[in-house]
Amino acid sequence: MDSLMYLLNGFSVAFAPMNIMWVTIGGILGTIIGMLPGLGPATGVAVLLPLTFTMGPEAALITMGGVYYGAMYGGSRASILINTPGDGAAVAATFDGYPMTLKGKAEAALAISAIASFIGGIFATLVMVAVAMPVARFALKFGPAEYFLLFLFALSATASMSKGDRVKGFLSMALGLMVATIGIDAQSGVKRFTFGILELQSGIDFLVIIIAVYALGEVFKSFQNIAEGKKKVQKEFGRIWISKEEWKRCVWPILRSSPLGFFIGALPGAGGTMAALMSYNNEKSLSKHPEEFGEGAIEGVAAPEAANNAASVGAMIPMLTLGIPGSGTTAVMMGALLMLGLQPGPMLFQQQSTVIWGLIASMFIGNIILAFVNIPMAGLLVRVLAVPPKILYPIVLGLAFVGTYAISYSVMDFYLLIIFGVVGYFLSKAKIPATPMILAIIVGNNMEQSFRRAYKISDGSLSIFWSSPLAIALIIITVLSVILPIIGDMRKKRAAGKGQTA
Amino acid sequence: MNISLLSGILALLIGLIYTVMTFLLPEASIGRPMEPKIFPMALGMLMIILSSILLVQETKKSRKSEQPAGKFTIDSNLKNIGLTCLFSILYAILFDKLGYVISTILFLEGELFLFNGAKKWKINSIVAVVFSLFIYILFSKLLGVYLPMTPGIWI
Repeated sequence: MDSLMYLLNGFSVAFAPMNIMWVTIGGILGTIIGMLPGLGPATGVAVLLPLTFTMGPEAALITMGGVYYGAMYGGSRASILINTPGDGAAVAATFDGYPMTLKGKAEAALAISAIASFIGGIFATLVMVAVAMPVARFALKFGPAEYFLLFLFALSATASMSKGDRVKGFLSMALGLMVATIGIDAQSGVKRFTFGILELQSGIDFLVIIIAVYALGEVFKSFQNIAEGKKKVQKEFGRIWISKEEWKRCVWPILRSSPLGFFIGALPGAGGTMAALMSYNNEKSLSKHPEEFGEGAIEGVAAPEAANNAASVGAMIPMLTLGIPGSGTTAVMMGALLMLGLQPGPMLFQQQSTVIWGLIASMFIGNIILAFVNIPMAGLLVRVLAVPPKILYPIVLGLAFVGTYAISYSVMDFYLLIIFGVVGYFLSKAKIPATPMILAIIVGNNMEQSFRRAYKISDGSLSIFWSSPLAIALIIITVLSVILPIIGDMRKKRAAGKGQTA
Repeated sequence: MNISLLSGILALLIGLIYTVMTFLLPEASIGRPMEPKIFPMALGMLMIILSSILLVQETKKSRKSEQPAGKFTIDSNLKNIGLTCLFSILYAILFDKLGYVISTILFLEGELFLFNGAKKWKINSIVAVVFSLFIYILFSKLLGVYLPMTPGIWI
């Protein structure tokens, strides 16, 4: 019950007029960034983070939260109207959303995507209220050894679930952990991998790397697309709403996809993209008329939109309660928390309950505001899509630099920004996923520290890592998270091989 | 050259250099002397193992198919990225000296020239000036985030 008390307290924070204003501004800015092709919530939060540097922790988190789900709403605008998803989670919205636009039903597609996003977001926030405290309390039982294993699980699950080559996912993870070891070692004072450069002694600020990979890297990738020319955007709309019949078709898909999305989002490594794709396939197989999917079926927009917004909230749970981000965007959100001097983890709910519950309460308010922004005002907002990316991308670059400067007031970070921007571009060219690297850079330090604390407690014996039932359980799920996808692949290959020979 | 193969070789090199560097790290003067080295050592080994697996995979693949997928070619994209990096370095050098507004106008003019072309210099200039001033006033005057001032001018 105390969760409800805290939530009421949180609402008193979130309902402060200034905070309502911030969540609205954050939501609108996030929607705009989310609409830009290639730029998703991770870029949105990374680039807009400096806006919050001088705010109090509540206002800062509430604004960033607004940016986060605003970008989730916005991502599907571009998917529906110009067939260009803002990020992975919005890809599924192109399958049926764009065909709907081609058939002249853009209004219904825009409306249902906002409605589904709203229901998914509200549902997931309600579940979050229910489970956040129990999870945080459970996590208090974790010792350093369990924490180390938990980090290991989260990272290896992310690497192993990353699309494409699994080895490359782990490679990306290892690279991130290496970057995290740069700087003065907190426990012994030994300088590691600083190459005699003074600025590297305090380590590389992961926010710089996040901005580099998500803003610069994406802009580098976009040079090619820009040369390909731009698509025409529909600017005139009728009433953006849906008919009763359309609503009937969507109710169950939305209600089914919300819990699914939440659950997948809460797992480390899976995230919004997988949630959206799974719910899409799920609805297609349940549908009485699967042949309409891909041709402009409205459920095909509703289901993934509900799922990815629910996932975006679900992903906040491991980040807030355990200090383990499960996706690129939650990693950036965690960066925002750390920047504010808040260490995510079980203690956060005890020490900073006002801030955290203010954030959770503002998720309700933010979702309501964004539904308003995205339905009656959608026609106005999508005009941003008519501004050519040729002008918007240089602006994103400008924001990336000012954001980097505001982190440490040092031009030295500009060079890191450039280097990691190029690294990000190279990773995407080589089809190496960047997310495992980003997560590893963020948790790398804590991971090593918990390893060493456990190692010290056990007086130099590694047996502490399998001495508690919890530790053994964590080892088992880590091994499973690596092995199961491999077995799945082998089965698929075998099935494909049989199909060929037969 | 196949880019996956190339990244495998790069990763192997990084892993090797990193591992050698871990062995050369100074020992801790407090606590266990080896302690700061254990974690990095494991990482270096992991990197070497992973990159070796990738290399074996890729050589197998390229043997199977004559045409390596994802060939690494130098395109116009790379030229633009190179120029963006150059502009960024110049931006970094000029940032403190010229102040935020002037250096940002120059940087954006450069970037807009790359993206939008020289013909549209009017729009480019308007965007560059408006963005720089807007951000400066927003951050420096309204949000209280310090940005370097141009010497001699109020901004």
